[in-house]
Amino acid sequence: MLIRIRQAVIITLFATVLAIIVNIASGSRIPFVGDWPSISGSDSVAVPPSAAEGDPPFVSLDEAAARYQSPGTLFIDARDTEDYAVAHIRNAINIPYDYIDDFRDQLMSIPLKQELVIYCSGTECELSLFLGREMQDIGYQKIFIFYGGWREWERAGLPMDKGI
Amino acid sequence: MSGKDKFLHNDYLGLIVRLFIGIVFIYASIDKIVAPAQFARIIYNYHILPGNLINLLAIVLPWIEIICGILLIAGIYKEGSILIINAMVLVFIIAISINLYRGINLECGCFSVSSKAKESAVELLLRDIGLLILCIYAWFNRSRRFDLVKSKA
Repeated sequence: MLIRIRQAVIITLFATVLAIIVNIASGSRIPFVGDWPSISGSDSVAVPPSAAEGDPPFVSLDEAAARYQSPGTLFIDARDTEDYAVAHIRNAINIPYDYIDDFRDQLMSIPLKQELVIYCSGTECELSLFLGREMQDIGYQKIFIFYGGWREWERAGLPMDKGI
Repeated sequence: MSGKDKFLHNDYLGLIVRLFIGIVFIYASIDKIVAPAQFARIIYNYHILPGNLINLLAIVLPWIEIICGILLIAGIYKEGSILIINAMVLVFIIAISINLYRGINLECGCFSVSSKAKESAVELLLRDIGLLILCIYAWFNRSRRFDLVKSKA
């Protein structure tokens, strides 16, 4: 066992040194300490890496929760129906971006002036952004994207519904 | 040798399992070595590591994978690499389980850093458990016949 551990330490050290050298020399290098947004801060706004100018505004958990209180705001869950069925933000409707054509009627029944907050799973998911862009192109004027999404909402223990 | 030992320390079975695991790890490392930034993003999405360790892991982990894979296939420092590989697979299983428990489907970052590669957490878990069984076999297999460097572990 001692030999195993000694070998493992040598391999790890060797790999680490090699990795560091390659990262310094390579064209696709990244900083050794990255600047990752903390997901615990509820007032920080998470923004997807592919966000572009002209995209609908992104809102933090705090702002999403505040908008949730106002009766005129509709929450849209852009995840697949199976994910939505497990649990979702209370009163949110489901328009899965990946199957948007099947939900076209439901989408079109939403008035263009309606205030909308769109979300999906969290920072690993960009369905909310894609749906937001699509709805912006259709002509919706008050779209907000809550990119922290279901993950932040659930962690904060905010109102949720289970099942469809 | 008893029948059990014949199976456990079989030269050829040991070699096949070793080659398989080695190839899996080399294959798994390449995409991540090429695109460390995407891999860092996938690690971040697991929401397990503190932010300042994410990039370091994204830089180092793929190199540990590829070197262990190569050493395992060659039979050099085989004992050490199989220890690391077992530890890695265990960590992968724990990380996926945590997110399965949280109810989040995420990019695995197992073999590819493309965001199209999305499998269900249950599938990933089963795949990793299968891999772990092979790794445990490789851990106990004491065949030295095809090792380039025969250590005495």
